[in-house]
Amino acid sequence: MTFALTISPSDLLLLLPEILLTSWLCLILIIDFSFPRLPNEQLAYFSIAGLVATLGCLAWFDITGITGTLFANMFALDRMALFFKMFIVGSTILVILASIDYIHRFKFFRGEYYFLVVMSALGMMFMASANDLLSVFVALEFSTIGFYVLVAYLREDMASNEAGIKFFILGIFAAGLLAYGISLVYGETGKLVFSDMQAAQATPGLVIGFLLIFGALGFKIGAVPFHSWIPDTYHGSPTPVTAFLSIAPKAAAFAILIRMFFVALATFKPIWALLIVAVSILSMTYGNIVAIAQKNMKRLLAYSGIAQIGNLLIGLATGTKMGSDAMLFYLLTYLFANIGAWAIVIAVSEAIGSEEIDDYSGLGRRSPFLAFSMLIFLLSLAGVPPLAGFIGKLYIFVAAIKEGLYVLITVGLINIVISLYYYLIVVKKMYISEPHDRSPLKISGPIKVVLYVCLAGTLTIGIYPQPVTDWVVSALLMFSNLADPTASLPVPPAVIPFGG
Amino acid sequence: MGDYALLYILFAPFMGAIALIFVSNRQAMLVRGIAAGAALVSLLASLYLFYAYDHVKGGFQFVQRFEWSHQLGISLHLGVDGIGTPLVLASGILLFAGIFVSWHIKDRTKEFYIWLLILAAATIGVFMSLDLFFLFFFYELSVIPMYLLLGMWGSHTKQYNEMTDPEGLKRRDSVGFIFNFGSNSKEYAAMKLVLFLSAFAVAALMGILLIYKFSGLNTFDILVLREQAKLMNIPVLGTTLDKIIWLLIFFGFASIAPLWPLHSWSPVGHAAAPAATSMLHAGVLMKLGHFSIIRVAFEILPETTRELMPIAAVLCMFSIVYGGFVAFYAKDTKYVIGYSSSSHMGYVFLGMAALDYISLTGAVMYMFAHAMATGMLFAMAGWVYDQTHSRDIPALGGLSNRMPFISGCFVVACMASIGVPGTVNFIAEVMIIVGSWNKYPFQVIVAVVGIVLTLAYLFKMMRGLFYGPMDQKYSHAHDAVSLVDRLPLLIMITVSIGFFFFPMHLYNVVRSGVDPLISKIIRVVPVASLNREAFDVKRETTDPPETPDAPLLTSNPSPLTPHPSRGLE
Repeated sequence: MTFALTISPSDLLLLLPEILLTSWLCLILIIDFSFPRLPNEQLAYFSIAGLVATLGCLAWFDITGITGTLFANMFALDRMALFFKMFIVGSTILVILASIDYIHRFKFFRGEYYFLVVMSALGMMFMASANDLLSVFVALEFSTIGFYVLVAYLREDMASNEAGIKFFILGIFAAGLLAYGISLVYGETGKLVFSDMQAAQATPGLVIGFLLIFGALGFKIGAVPFHSWIPDTYHGSPTPVTAFLSIAPKAAAFAILIRMFFVALATFKPIWALLIVAVSILSMTYGNIVAIAQKNMKRLLAYSGIAQIGNLLIGLATGTKMGSDAMLFYLLTYLFANIGAWAIVIAVSEAIGSEEIDDYSGLGRRSPFLAFSMLIFLLSLAGVPPLAGFIGKLYIFVAAIKEGLYVLITVGLINIVISLYYYLIVVKKMYISEPHDRSPLKISGPIKVVLYVCLAGTLTIGIYPQPVTDWVVSALLMFSNLADPTASLPVPPAVIPFGG
Repeated sequence: MGDYALLYILFAPFMGAIALIFVSNRQAMLVRGIAAGAALVSLLASLYLFYAYDHVKGGFQFVQRFEWSHQLGISLHLGVDGIGTPLVLASGILLFAGIFVSWHIKDRTKEFYIWLLILAAATIGVFMSLDLFFLFFFYELSVIPMYLLLGMWGSHTKQYNEMTDPEGLKRRDSVGFIFNFGSNSKEYAAMKLVLFLSAFAVAALMGILLIYKFSGLNTFDILVLREQAKLMNIPVLGTTLDKIIWLLIFFGFASIAPLWPLHSWSPVGHAAAPAATSMLHAGVLMKLGHFSIIRVAFEILPETTRELMPIAAVLCMFSIVYGGFVAFYAKDTKYVIGYSSSSHMGYVFLGMAALDYISLTGAVMYMFAHAMATGMLFAMAGWVYDQTHSRDIPALGGLSNRMPFISGCFVVACMASIGVPGTVNFIAEVMIIVGSWNKYPFQVIVAVVGIVLTLAYLFKMMRGLFYGPMDQKYSHAHDAVSLVDRLPLLIMITVSIGFFFFPMHLYNVVRSGVDPLISKIIRVVPVASLNREAFDVKRETTDPPETPDAPLLTSNPSPLTPHPSRGLE
């Protein structure tokens, strides 16, 4: 194939958010070097300003409907990509706000921290637009390199170093899988762009190739059986990095998964749906059951994150437009609850220097606001009305029941009950157990802002989800050609296949 | 305000809870005032609702409908029929009484009232939901406040408090203690309650999702589904789909009722809960089960209900007898009342299982009557516990000297709970017994034995608490003297006795809700068992007797003995 790379100014417009963020990235670095005495908060707010400008630019694209593709379809800027980019930039803003307090723990390179966070965000923005296998590889590695450094940022801390090594080795392994899978797929089809591969035959090489790619992406999202790095890495990393790692790369990887499965592999849906069902069941069950035994808040949230990914995969397993709508919706609810919960872990560890669940005893008396926020976020993660997580779970279940995934829904419903147990253990510690030390906790301003934003998101989406559902539905209009389950429903099959 | 009555009832407690967030805990009187004000608005609106409900017209009234999510086919569809109206009123009364019963809570008063208001509002929401999604939404919303109310303001059992040795203290504080089934800490009770109810709630949710899928209507609206959903005769797994859905819905909601094998969370939960929570819990929360079964299974799957409802008739016997015997041997006041509640809920199931106009009307009236009776009992058990810090019946005694008002009210509450003439419980019980006699004579005999058991255990508890010698360490206990403390009891006693003397409106309202439901259930013939010709013939013969029934009984002037011949015909 030949690339005819002619770039006109109107094409560059499509890249405007990325160009804006790239130049801002350079500015951050220059300012950090030029003014070594600049307080770190200033740099944080400066990074946030850039991100907000990018977010505004993306919102403008979304409202005016500026879309298109670039570089021979390698880079697609459609409504879905815009959704994911806004999602990533929004979560980056919240993470930077939450890390302003934490930053004093880093002995060196405090300024570069913001640079690396924004750089990873930039990589993930490219992931959201990646429309062929090469750009998937490049964007994915670009965003991961930032994380390799960020995870090991607490240089004096053995756990952080361990987390870094573990993440690096497994991440490199996943990159290898990805490259090998891409080469197999290219060898079989001669195509790289997702939309060109649609009619390909299912040859063994192609199947293995896509399985390898799925393995690499499964590593990114942390689905069982590719989850082994999650608990230790989440535990050892600096907490804001963990918060970032637990949401943004997952969303970006889901953008690629949706493109790959819904566009390139749409014709093989019955085959891959079974694979996703299996991975989803394993992730939900494993994550929830192991989370019960956790004594550390970060590990508990890590395992609960694995289970949440299992829930998201239910949406992918449906293979329908409604399923993908539900995934986007669920990701939004997960963003608020998850970042909020991590922000509280940061606030508590700043105040009492511990991340053990036992040290959350009596949080309801020491800081009613923190305890109440944590209650809301945990219950939203568990899926209790009237919080966003409940609507998210219900949306996914409704999409799945329309496709007849009864076993998957049953497992999902049972898992809600299991997850309630360990979330309520934390609630019990916060509200019922007596505190070891009654002194009230101090919360800093930026963390409060993060908590208010996340609380507002969790509650409003839970109480009135209509605007958000409209948004996600319109973001995925390009999939409306996928089989719509409502259109052909009234004639149920004579025998319902209970199973996948 | 007329049309918006439901919104006032539902949102007043929510608004009260939101307002309380902005009040400091130090202004205790303001906190209580806001809570009482919100509850009062809700109570007055529900009184208005009850008396403005037009029983001649029947059907769903005060309907409000707001589009909520058109992708999922959900709307906030509120409305009450003759079955929901008295239960909304009962919730309003118990919430208002509960605010005053917990007037003296010192620890985190504000949070207590916030959760109590949310709990009551969620319960009320179920009684007026005409959308399956919102029914489940409010149902599940009522579970979580229970966890916090039990855990934060509840009380441990005697065994737990006796674990004072170092080994015991260490065990008490471990997370795994929740699995220690013998000792019944409040954490254990709260966790058990939430997990148990959630586990069965998700079963019900599965049933709801199956209805949603196989109706193919892309809506959760009960009124649409009951007219248009065709769920019969879809073979699946060797049986039919409607049976699976019915069983999921029935057992999913029966767990909160609580029907016999699913009852074990309930007495433990009652025992751990603070008085006002127990009142709401036993008074109205348990009725969510019966109500949801009526609203979902009876409305949407009438044929299957007729086929499978005998399950309830069998299980309710175990509920009645088992609950009664355990209550007789229990030594903890709240366990006695808790088991008595689960035993009495068996009567409601009996009334529902008979699928008869009189018995179902009796069952709904019994739900209302039981809410008052059990509310009084829990309020007084709470008062005694507050004064003596003991719920151990053998250790207590002779308190009637110290608290004459409470012991007097206790007699009335026992009478109401037993169903002595003079309380509305009597009317309801007689109606259940008369209405079910035709179909389930054996169960009726069991139910009558159950009444004798009730008499035995309640009198035993009354004697244990208020008569006999008094331990000197309880000499500081004092009576409820202030108006705030007496008001809730007086309200509930007035309602309980008042509806005995003036039951007509209650009866008419309930009857207007029951009639269309039962006539729908007993008219339809299971299509599966008949071919088309037989179906048409049968339909002609079954149609006529259905109509004269209803007017005959609605015009019955004396509902005290609701036409006894009717049960024997």
